[in-house]
Amino acid sequence: MQISLKWLSQYVDLPSPEALAKGLTAVGLEVEAIERIGQGLAGVVVARVLAAEKHPNAEKLSVTSVDRGEGAPIQVVCGARNYAVGDLVPLATVGTTLPGGVKIEKARLRGVESFGMLCSARELGLDADASGLLILPKDLAPGTPIAEALGLEDVLLEVNVTPNRPDCLSHIGIAREVAALLGQPVRAPATVVQEAGEPAARAVQVRIEAPDRCARYAARVVEGVRIGPSPAWLARRLEACGVRSISNVVDATNFVLLELGHPLHAFDLDKVAGAEIVVRTARPGERITTLDGKERLLEESDLLIADRDRGSALAGVMGGGDSEISQGTTRVLLESAWFAPGSIRRTSRRQGLKSEASYRFERGADPGMVLPALDRCAALIAELAGGTVRPGVVDRVARPATQGQVRLRWTRPAELLGMAVPREEARRVLLGLGFGELAADEEGATFSVPSWRVDVAIEEDLVEELVRTRGYDAIPETLPAAAVRTPAEGPEAGVVARIREALEAAGFSEAINFSFVAEPDLAPLRYDVAVGDGTTRALGIALKNPISAELSLMRTSLVPSLLKNAARNRAQRVDDVRLYELARVYHPAPVEAEGDAPTLEDLRVAGVLLGRRAPAGWTGGADAVDFYDAKAATEAVLRGLGVAGARWEAGGEAWLHPRVAATVRAADGERFGWVGELHPRVAEAFDLPRGVLAFELRVEALARHGALVPRYHVIPSLPAVLRDLAVLVAEPVTAEAVLAAVREEPLVGEATIFDVYRGAPIPAGRKNLALAISYRAADRTLTDAEAEAAHGRIVARLAARLGAELRG
Amino acid sequence: MADLLGQLEALAAAARTACAAAGDEKALEELRVRFLGKKGELSAVLRGMGALSAEERPRVGEVANRVRDEVEALLGARKAALGEAALEAELAGQPIDVTLAGRRPLPRGHRHPLTRAAEEIAGIFARLGYEVASGPEIELDWYNFEALNIPADHPARDMQDTFYVDPSTLREGRAKGGVLLRTHTSPVQIRAMQRIGEPPIRIICPGRVYRSDYDQTHSPMFHQVEGLCVDTKITFADLKGTLAAFARAYFGPGTKTRFRPSYFPFVEPGAEVDVSCSICGGSGRKDGRRCGTCKETGWLEVLGAGMVHPKVLRNGGIDPTRHTGFAFGMGVERLAMLKYGIDDLRLFFDNDLRFLEQF
Repeated sequence: MQISLKWLSQYVDLPSPEALAKGLTAVGLEVEAIERIGQGLAGVVVARVLAAEKHPNAEKLSVTSVDRGEGAPIQVVCGARNYAVGDLVPLATVGTTLPGGVKIEKARLRGVESFGMLCSARELGLDADASGLLILPKDLAPGTPIAEALGLEDVLLEVNVTPNRPDCLSHIGIAREVAALLGQPVRAPATVVQEAGEPAARAVQVRIEAPDRCARYAARVVEGVRIGPSPAWLARRLEACGVRSISNVVDATNFVLLELGHPLHAFDLDKVAGAEIVVRTARPGERITTLDGKERLLEESDLLIADRDRGSALAGVMGGGDSEISQGTTRVLLESAWFAPGSIRRTSRRQGLKSEASYRFERGADPGMVLPALDRCAALIAELAGGTVRPGVVDRVARPATQGQVRLRWTRPAELLGMAVPREEARRVLLGLGFGELAADEEGATFSVPSWRVDVAIEEDLVEELVRTRGYDAIPETLPAAAVRTPAEGPEAGVVARIREALEAAGFSEAINFSFVAEPDLAPLRYDVAVGDGTTRALGIALKNPISAELSLMRTSLVPSLLKNAARNRAQRVDDVRLYELARVYHPAPVEAEGDAPTLEDLRVAGVLLGRRAPAGWTGGADAVDFYDAKAATEAVLRGLGVAGARWEAGGEAWLHPRVAATVRAADGERFGWVGELHPRVAEAFDLPRGVLAFELRVEALARHGALVPRYHVIPSLPAVLRDLAVLVAEPVTAEAVLAAVREEPLVGEATIFDVYRGAPIPAGRKNLALAISYRAADRTLTDAEAEAAHGRIVARLAARLGAELRG
Repeated sequence: MADLLGQLEALAAAARTACAAAGDEKALEELRVRFLGKKGELSAVLRGMGALSAEERPRVGEVANRVRDEVEALLGARKAALGEAALEAELAGQPIDVTLAGRRPLPRGHRHPLTRAAEEIAGIFARLGYEVASGPEIELDWYNFEALNIPADHPARDMQDTFYVDPSTLREGRAKGGVLLRTHTSPVQIRAMQRIGEPPIRIICPGRVYRSDYDQTHSPMFHQVEGLCVDTKITFADLKGTLAAFARAYFGPGTKTRFRPSYFPFVEPGAEVDVSCSICGGSGRKDGRRCGTCKETGWLEVLGAGMVHPKVLRNGGIDPTRHTGFAFGMGVERLAMLKYGIDDLRLFFDNDLRFLEQF
């Protein structure tokens, strides 16, 4: 809401703009900007044209002599012709810079000297009229600064009015707050309506057919008006508040809107068929053309102001073109009504049509302002456009406004604020804000709520009035008494912290991506969602109103976002990428799922890695990452959570390289996720090279299989016997199978594969595995012979089961 | 006998000369084999003892032992001397190039600054007795709006541009009353009250939130931290004290807080909370110039807060005649930007490693 301080000062005495802004902000009306206008016109003064002659060398120019109120008349060359000798016009003197940035200098135009410029309204930045000089009122004195002469100087406050305070969407509303703040009275505009002629009720009939949506509809009739431009003061007022001047009658309604906050509408009564107003909901298929020239298809829940035949206005939102005030209008029907907020908001939103009127009605207009605003506007129209106001108001009340009452217990402020407010202060503040004391006793008092305070309904609202007047600074600072539950950190918190720690230690930095992605991002990963009837649907949950198609689908995997991050980093020449993200993915919740959440939100951890294994340096380390680096990351996560016995099974998802992919499972077979190299075609789709590794794991499943608290195992006190073993096996024989066979030997303590060798002299299709095995018994020191025997049994088992051949 | 004794003396003399000339350990080992080995010179001399008489043998044996001891001592001394010289030479040699880069293990990864900030915020409140709570990001309209005293057709809904979920992409029956992406973490207040039941309740909820607004200073996804404290006799003064304590812990001990009346439908009374500018210390001027962070006001708006509205308590299953509470919410991006001096919101979601590695 833009507030003109010049205007506001009519209703209440004002402190300095800065002090006022501070005070308003302190009571909850945040002043976002203070703007001084009319400042750019220093150097422009009122001047009288003393003489004008044709320019000797230019057909379209004239040479004038003007009186600028001091010194001798000066010569100015001018191109306009709309003035007469004796007229007062604006003169931009030499040295002035006009609002458009034009600097006025002494000039020679076609051989004639010119000492300034006579200005149009547009050149002064006042309005768009550039057809000729701005002709000023005759009663001004030459030499008067133009800003002063036209009343252009003003200070505007941009006030952020929160949605609960529609009463502050007007100058009188702000004045009420200022007055309460400063302990002053408000000087409300006094209205006297001069009535004459036949009663209004004979000129128009009003009927409310939708009493739940229109509580009151009041109308006046003004006849014999002459539509014309508004006087300058009115146009300037509106423009200061960002409202365009249209015509005297329309401007009068807008003036009252900005002054009193009540939206009004003026109809051309001669275009109201049957001279009757019906407030009703739209009929099926009914249409109306609004003032913005758009034809709108209505729904039955839209409220219309109709005449006998059809809709004349979209109630409380915008008028209709058919009954619009036009140049030929002589009889005006003026509407002042109270519409139900929800009804106005629904129509406004559905039609995508917001107006000053709908903005106020949907927040709640002041039912007590229906008649004062009507009278104020009718009187103003008669004053501005001539005409006579017919006697009486055609006033239909479908539902009388109820007087709100709220009780305040004297102890409640202290209970809620931690600061007592003496009852006398409470009374003074509330009465100052327009509340009325209806009854009081030792425990409290009941206050009537002013009709404009639609936001006050409960005791807490009254307490807020008290505290915002006093200022929050007055409240002491305390800490809540120490009745605390032991903080029960969810097990998830520890899990998440450990996953972060594990991956960061493994060189992964954390990414945070939007939860929504583009369909083509998910498509290569072909995440299918099972739908109830046994079929699957390719993708996940979609937004109804996404910002763009790029941000329209809720992620079903974190990996596409990470792949895009990797591609982006590569584009920035960051070639070694290790990124992880810990976030939820979203799937529709099955009908039978526990709770009422609409979707299953599954916490995942995913990572992507490509580039070099370690930063290259003089000590080496420029190898590219491979599957085993990615697997190490998944192992680190599992180790961090104490998940034992997990398995990496060959083969994984379709978007992975079929030879370089694994499914990660718990010991009990539950799927944790996957790890592998991106399928070359998927990598290409994301503008990535080959050799990109990725993984994704389900945190909730990991947490269920993890053991966050370590369990102590007795440290073996007896020495182990160490033996190495080298065996040749066929390529398909896995490390898991070899180690499983080794560990079947009861005396084996630890067994690791420390080398894998392929190539000469080993025949193709086979590989050499080197194992380090430690043998130990819990109860005695093993003899070499015992260890040798165990070693022999292992060799025999490997040969028999896996076709392994002992080497060297 | 004299012949044998002469040979031993000659052997000893030769050993003295040879040991003094030996240049390294390998040469010393060769001398040891030459003089003292099984097939060495001493053994060769001693083999001649078989021809000696019983009286002569001990005397020659005695000399032989003395020579053996002497040679061993010579070898040992020379070895020690050589070792000492080698050490001295090594210590006195060319220093290594200490300017080459240290060996580089895999560098640690970096936690996202938003996570760092959220963890710090949650950590401060954990010390004040708050437990971490969470709730769905895809939420029912009821929790996000209705239960928080923002009914349908209420203009307060305009304060938050909402993403709605296409119900056809959900299962039937799971979209009662409309499904949306939560516009704030406040619905967790309701879920926490319903879950915990009887006060005292103290929860903190960091999480992702979504609003349909995307430009230089707005991201369609951002992060909030919500706090809720409900008990008997909780007051606005407690809210002030709690947030003042938080501001000092997060921004530094000298930080001041300022409460301004404002409107959030789920609190009454409500406030916006400013902290003294962490960049200019609240003076509005930095290095003689206008502080751009607080736009010369000396204050930064960082929080919304208030006393929980009675309707909200009731929707959470709490009796507002017996209990009061306060709630607050803050934007993690804003707090992280202030703390780390980040001037562009979009950096948070670009995931450029050159950015992430700074944290």
